[in-house]
Amino acid sequence: MESDAEEETSATPTAGRLKGSPELTVDADMREMAKTAAWSVSSCKAGNGVAALRDDNLDTYWQSDGAQPHLVNIQFQKKVQLQLVVLYVDFKLDESYTPSKISIRAGDGFHNLKEIKTVELAKPVGWVHISLSGADPRETFIHTFMLQIAVLSNHLNGRDTHVRQIKIFGPRPNPVPRQPFHFISREFITYSTIR
Amino acid sequence: METLMVDRIHSSLRLFMHRNAIFLCERLCAQFPSEANLQLLATCYLHNNQPYAAYHILKGKKLPESRYLFAMSCFRMNLLREAEDTLCPVNEPNIESIQVPSGATGNYLLGVIYRCTGRMSAAAEQFTQALTVDPLLWAAYEELCILGVAEDADECFSEATALRLQQEHASTSALEKSNFANENRILSSSLPSSLGDIIPKQMKQLHANITAEVPGYHHVRGTALHVQSSAASNIAQFDTPSPATAQTSSIVPPPLFRNVHAYQNTISVDAPAKQKANGANQPLRRKYLDEARLKKVSGRLFNQSSESLPRRSARLSRDTAINSNSNISQFGGNGTDHSSGKLRVNSSTPSKLCSTAVRSVQVRKGKPRATENFDEGSRNEVIDEMWTDNEPATSSSVTTDGRFFEQDKAERIMSQDSKLAVGIRELLGLLRLLGEGFRLSCLFKCQEALEVFRKLPEPQFNTGWVLCQVGKAYFELVDYLESDHYFELAHRLSPCTLDGMDIYSTVLYHLNAEMRLSYLAQELISIDRLSPQAWCAVGNCFALRKDHETALKNFQRAVQLDSRFAYAHTLCGHEYSALEDYENSLKFYQCALQVDERHYNAWYGLGVVYLRQEKFEFAEHHFRRAFQINPRSSVLMCYLGMALHSLKRNEEALEMMEKAIAADKKNPLPKYQKALILLGLQKYTEALEELERLKEIAPHESSMYALMGKIYKQLNILDKAVFCFGIALDLKPPAADLAIIKAAMEKVHLPDELMDDDL
Repeated sequence: MESDAEEETSATPTAGRLKGSPELTVDADMREMAKTAAWSVSSCKAGNGVAALRDDNLDTYWQSDGAQPHLVNIQFQKKVQLQLVVLYVDFKLDESYTPSKISIRAGDGFHNLKEIKTVELAKPVGWVHISLSGADPRETFIHTFMLQIAVLSNHLNGRDTHVRQIKIFGPRPNPVPRQPFHFISREFITYSTIR
Repeated sequence: METLMVDRIHSSLRLFMHRNAIFLCERLCAQFPSEANLQLLATCYLHNNQPYAAYHILKGKKLPESRYLFAMSCFRMNLLREAEDTLCPVNEPNIESIQVPSGATGNYLLGVIYRCTGRMSAAAEQFTQALTVDPLLWAAYEELCILGVAEDADECFSEATALRLQQEHASTSALEKSNFANENRILSSSLPSSLGDIIPKQMKQLHANITAEVPGYHHVRGTALHVQSSAASNIAQFDTPSPATAQTSSIVPPPLFRNVHAYQNTISVDAPAKQKANGANQPLRRKYLDEARLKKVSGRLFNQSSESLPRRSARLSRDTAINSNSNISQFGGNGTDHSSGKLRVNSSTPSKLCSTAVRSVQVRKGKPRATENFDEGSRNEVIDEMWTDNEPATSSSVTTDGRFFEQDKAERIMSQDSKLAVGIRELLGLLRLLGEGFRLSCLFKCQEALEVFRKLPEPQFNTGWVLCQVGKAYFELVDYLESDHYFELAHRLSPCTLDGMDIYSTVLYHLNAEMRLSYLAQELISIDRLSPQAWCAVGNCFALRKDHETALKNFQRAVQLDSRFAYAHTLCGHEYSALEDYENSLKFYQCALQVDERHYNAWYGLGVVYLRQEKFEFAEHHFRRAFQINPRSSVLMCYLGMALHSLKRNEEALEMMEKAIAADKKNPLPKYQKALILLGLQKYTEALEELERLKEIAPHESSMYALMGKIYKQLNILDKAVFCFGIALDLKPPAADLAIIKAAMEKVHLPDELMDDDL
């Protein structure tokens, strides 16, 4: 995946910063995970609250209103497998409000969050895909109760930040319940469910 | 003036000029206020899709017809309680007496209301009652099948029924005859004038006809008034609502002939020649005219056989006496020549109106010989022979002398009667086949249903309804390719039949035929944007692309369009389940079950949700219910087995899997599940055997190899384990599986404790 390639290079702060792409490209076997999660932010300006992050509207944005780091907390109802975080930011519109360094932390709750990923952005316009997988295929997913996206710094040393949309992706559940593996061949899939 | 207005209103209704009819009717009611006219006005409103207007004017009226119309408008406006109360007031002890004319349609409506409000046994009772009163009321039989309580079609549409139908005609006719005799005299004055101008025109035509005409056609009364405008189509309206429209039209020959005959009779043959039959004719003729007028309201309104019964009865009214006597005598001296030959000779000089009737009779007669299902084949022969005897008598007599007219009449009546008998039997035979097929497919005995449907004659088979039923039967058998073929045929033959198209879209979904599914969906939407089936198809399209939210929106639209369409609810439930919104999915499945308790898909859906939520007892219960409704589905058996396995009832689970494997050899899932269960029971070698067998059927399934790898690891045959995992990885499983399999591969050489068991 090309976004993976970007990931490897941007793991080190010096080389390969994320640019963002105009389109949201996600594998077919992934789906949005955070619809039933509890979203909260460390601070916000009136009228630009956390709802703007989830309204599928790229014109509305969340604006923070406090000290850095600005935090977006996502708490799930149960332990979930997550694979990808995608943010929409726009340097052309937001300039000094555009995040430049983002840290992603995961854990059971506020008390034991651990950083799992840090990325740097370079004047991004569009969707920024941040994969949470490790190099090892066994580490494709992280299992966690809570995710925290921290904006550590902005472009041009701005204090507050604008983020227009955030989406979290994980694997699709198996359409056939209680199975160790997914079915992929036509013969199995045809007989696997009743519609 | 009143009669003139009524007549114009009827013809406007017939020709779909609803606003004209309403206007005239309102004038009529203003000028001649009477309940009958009010009923006519209500009919006009109902035809014009304004049930609220009909509701308003009929509120509180007590006559049976008014009550039926009022109940119908309530039903259309979804005021089920009121409709029920009207049809069946709580404090009335005797239900029979208050129902609508002939009872059958009233029973049917009441049954539908009971079904909509969830009282299934009461509904079944009503439908059975409707069927006993009128055996040709297909809709009632259909409902009984859907409720799962229909009795064998052979019993419903049997010989006994045929005889009963005939007798009913005879018995009710005498009553009516006396009733109408009085009215005839009153109205007779107004009639001859209108009749007069019509008759001469037709007379010329008919003279030619009379000689060639096969006499047995005077089945249905109609009026000479309707003659001008396509008599055949007109009368067809009055006839029974069976799918065999081709057949009914043949029963329907222009009544005009009879009337004109009668008229001609009275003209040509005067007092001396007037005998009992003749005398009966005159009032009869008048009776036709105004009976038809009066009956027109109810007839067209109900459009059911309720009409044909009294009419047929009058048709036979002439004489059950003559009938029975001559029957016996005729039976005695029968020639052996087949009527078919005679018939064809006659049809060579047919009248315009008569010929199609003759030919269709030919066809009808042909059919019983072709299909072996009619056990009254022998009866037919006899009747045919009776007919042949009549033929020569008729043709000779009419041309010669009016004096023989009565005799002809008697014979014609009898052959009429025989025609009726033949007609009834043929219709019943057809209904029997269709009914049996439908009943079996509702009970999910799909193989038998298919066999029954194959017995249908070809023109009947190649109709939208039958082909959809066949497609549905294959669908239930999980034979999606055949199902696809038949549904496609059905769609091609009758592109505007939307009834089975939701199932067709599901078939295409299962076959993963994205292009064809989206094409179908677009077509259906363009045909009718307001049909729930079209929106179901669109929803299935999106569901195939895993866009569950849009699919859900479409299914919800389908639900909005028709909340009594169970499948739309079920599909909504499936989508919510895919979105993991289990509360809502449970809700929708239960809605579906409220509409139709025998919708096994909804029971299955509930089972799956509970399985995911790990409420295994509930899951097992629901799967079992689904299995009880559809005991032939191997997929259901498989799921039931899975639920049992989760409950740790492994013996039963294995048994169920065996059943599933036996039920459908092509289904790989039960074998896989069986292997899983065996693995859980640590019977590794047997599990492996099962999986080896499975390789034959589905060689490209990564989950299979992954499982095999796991088993080999347990058996400590490590090289094979790695080999299997490798193949599994090659087959490109999704990311989640990829992770698990790779992890498993790397840990192959580690002892068991360190391997995470996610089975």
